Amino acid sequence: MGDAVNTIFINGTEYPFKPGQTVIQVAQENGIDIQHYCYHPGLSIAGNCRICMIEVEGNPQPQISCKLDCAPPPWIKEPLRVQTESEVAKQGREGTMEMLLVNHPLDCPICDQAGECHLQDYSYEVGQGQASTTTAKTKLPKNVPFGSKIVYDAERCIKCTLCVRFCEEITETNELSMQGRGDEEMVVMTSKGEFDTPYSMNIIDICPVGALTSRDFRFKSRLWFMDFANSIDTSSAKGVNIVTGGRNGTFLRIEPRYNASINDWWMADEGRVAYKYVNSPSRLETALVRDADGQFRVANWEDAISAAAEALRSNPGDILLDGGCTLEEMVLAKDLAGAMGKNAKFAAATGEGDGWLVTEEKGANAKGAELLEVARAKRAQAASVLVIEREEHVNASMREKSGAVVVFATDGEHVPESAEVVFPLPSWAEREGTLVNIDGLAQWMERNPAIGPNNLPVFVEILEDLIGELDDDYAWRGADGVRAEIAALPAFAKVALPWQTETPVGAGS
Amino acid sequence: MASKRDKDGRYPETKILSKNFGVKDSWTLKVAKKNGAYKNLEKALKMAPADIIEEVKTSRVRGRGGAGFPTGVKWGFVPTESDKPKYLVLNADESEPGTFKDRYLMELDPHLVLEGCLICAYACGLSTIYIYVRGEYPKSQERLWGAIEEARKAGILGKSVMGSDFACEAYVHTGAGAYICGEETGMLESLEGKRGHPRIKPPFPAVEGAFGCPTVINNVETLAHVPCIIENGGQWFADMGIQPDPDNPRAMGSSGTKLMGLSGDIKTPGVWEFEFGITLRELIEQYGEGALDGRKVKAVIPGGLSMPVLTADELDVPMGFDALVKVGSGLGTATAIVMDDSRDMVEVCENIAHFFADESCGQCTPCREGCHWMEKIFARIQGGEGTPADLDLLERLFINIEGRTICALADAAVWPLRSIIRKFRHEFLAKMPGHEDAPASTETAGVGAS
Repeated sequence: MGDAVNTIFINGTEYPFKPGQTVIQVAQENGIDIQHYCYHPGLSIAGNCRICMIEVEGNPQPQISCKLDCAPPPWIKEPLRVQTESEVAKQGREGTMEMLLVNHPLDCPICDQAGECHLQDYSYEVGQGQASTTTAKTKLPKNVPFGSKIVYDAERCIKCTLCVRFCEEITETNELSMQGRGDEEMVVMTSKGEFDTPYSMNIIDICPVGALTSRDFRFKSRLWFMDFANSIDTSSAKGVNIVTGGRNGTFLRIEPRYNASINDWWMADEGRVAYKYVNSPSRLETALVRDADGQFRVANWEDAISAAAEALRSNPGDILLDGGCTLEEMVLAKDLAGAMGKNAKFAAATGEGDGWLVTEEKGANAKGAELLEVARAKRAQAASVLVIEREEHVNASMREKSGAVVVFATDGEHVPESAEVVFPLPSWAEREGTLVNIDGLAQWMERNPAIGPNNLPVFVEILEDLIGELDDDYAWRGADGVRAEIAALPAFAKVALPWQTETPVGAGS
Repeated sequence: MASKRDKDGRYPETKILSKNFGVKDSWTLKVAKKNGAYKNLEKALKMAPADIIEEVKTSRVRGRGGAGFPTGVKWGFVPTESDKPKYLVLNADESEPGTFKDRYLMELDPHLVLEGCLICAYACGLSTIYIYVRGEYPKSQERLWGAIEEARKAGILGKSVMGSDFACEAYVHTGAGAYICGEETGMLESLEGKRGHPRIKPPFPAVEGAFGCPTVINNVETLAHVPCIIENGGQWFADMGIQPDPDNPRAMGSSGTKLMGLSGDIKTPGVWEFEFGITLRELIEQYGEGALDGRKVKAVIPGGLSMPVLTADELDVPMGFDALVKVGSGLGTATAIVMDDSRDMVEVCENIAHFFADESCGQCTPCREGCHWMEKIFARIQGGEGTPADLDLLERLFINIEGRTICALADAAVWPLRSIIRKFRHEFLAKMPGHEDAPASTETAGVGAS
């Protein structure tokens, strides 16, 4: 076996491959893009869409690269030579592209996938630009509910079976199957009723076309009007990598982002819809200070900070943090508590986990708190400062029992009676910082500027201002300074911090 | 070859597989045994399995299902070092239009079929035989089940086959009428209780077939040949029929006999057994007794529906694997469909395209979309709304469909259609407004299944 061929020529350049790799994998690894629909690195190879055709030198017929082994047959001692952009390859893809559009409704103007549709992209790249069809298209069912979260359109569907394979191979729940033959083939639900797999919505992401759309997101926005940011799912402590999508302040969508060490390509439906509260109509947008008559009035930041410092001086106490706070925020909260001679604690809900991407621990940074020695709060925790973003972490009874005088809250509904000064807390999607997932992996959470009210103060800056008010000797460090301190902590000696590594941990492909 | 014909020029039948056709109660074990059934199995059980495979290789018998793959070579692919159970799946799905040769074997000599299966199973070390019978063949199913029951009671099937150490069981599995389940991996899926979607290869069935285990898949007729190969030796079989061309390694010859059939516009449809070598014209004229009165043969598809068509001028071709490929067609199942001069070739195409569009499993894009598209184009031409550009479009579609899919169903759709629109182009033009007077095409060369 020593002389086995272990390289392949793609477009004339020699690349090494590992045994078992197919041409499309080696091409992708080396930045050569080959169009594909039914190929997904996380699923079995179906080889049915026939778009990933390439030319194998010596073979007049184009071959599909998703199934083609890089290793030549044992009797051939020379590396395979393939071309991805030759006439044969392009003709093959063009021919398939035409077939895919024969019965496609071409309803892009009303299709949610427009802008991220592989049919559109590949049409642009290898399409003919002119239709040869003059006959009527095949009519198939549209607007078919797949459970309560997903809508299926059999006419847009290209029958790549990615969704079927996902349900067979990833969730192993087999809710979907193909039905019918020929151009009347379509995806159907195998069981009547709910498509209730907690991971069902992943099929929307992997659907390369607009056949599967999210009931939650559909018709809300065109993609090209949205901004996206690489963030972390904070609905549980697994640290699932996601992309947040927003437009004009409204949080519209969460999609998973590839991370081989955490979530591969997937995420739970629970995390995907865990953004609703961010769009709450009762979101706080200004600082509030309680008047002498007991009524809240809107205050500017400086006044609010002085009022808060005053309240803390006369009423020093612990700080109760939402379990989703970042490392940077926790460090500063500890320092603020220290300035009062008190401690910072964090509160986070626990719930059901599934042993995969949903953890029982719901505090997204619970592990980070542990590393920073921020203790978990008791159920009835007295505090003078309350940081509350998610209702489930610090529930109404805990909030009221805390007796906090300074409150950082995302939602105005979460402000307890005892509050003297209230700051609007940007949601996690609007903050940036570092989270440590339950397995000890530190990840960077990016801010999405298109989500949330305009001109909210930066949480860590307010925290620093408050420390400065309480501690005359305080030297401002800034978030970068805080990060340098974290890196120097012995507890973080073995944690790869995302801002230290060249490629941030959690950055997906 | 001429020596095979008698003084009147008639090509004789050679009854080996068909020797018991017409014998009263030929399907019962009692009658079959009287006619020699299972004595070749008994002989085989005393041979080393490798010697049996060698004998089959020597016979050069090629698969009778249409592809013509050398059977002995196929058996040789089964891994001997495997701790998995190994299976034989007998392809009795005979769903190719115009084909009914296996049905004769299953209904009239099921014990011969079973004997062939058992010899194959013994030679390749297979523990279970699944006979996948077409759903539309209730009588075949009944006779095979009957034969299995009888064989089991007689100790021919079971823990000890004919008193030997070899254990083997057999079951009949009924298809549900899908053409695609005649494709070997579509059949395996169906056998496993799934949709008949052909599998993408590799792995090939010999390594990973039914239930993920090594599996031999053969056609009914192929395995029915095996007992007589054991009886008379591989060389005896190889000496019959058409010899390989020493100058062309791809022309592997057509050894032995073959059940050949005729259907369509023919006086006497039926199935006969010949040594390879009878020409298509001889088959039609001597056995089919020619076209119906007052009609002339216009076109013939030599094997089922999936092969390129031959015109009346091209019938002097020997029925053999290589000879038919040489004239741009193929042997297929060797059961010819005859069309006479009353047939409208546009309608024929519409019908063929409809069949393949209807039977396409829907898995691969070119076949799923292309077959229906072709059907719609033919319907348009038939409706008088076609233009010559449609024929060019069809030619382009043929390129984009043929050889671009997981299984060969798409190729099978393209081959007859392409040959018809090339050989009978004038009939298509005649239905196109403004082109009615186009001269009859003389273009027949270059039409092929290649």
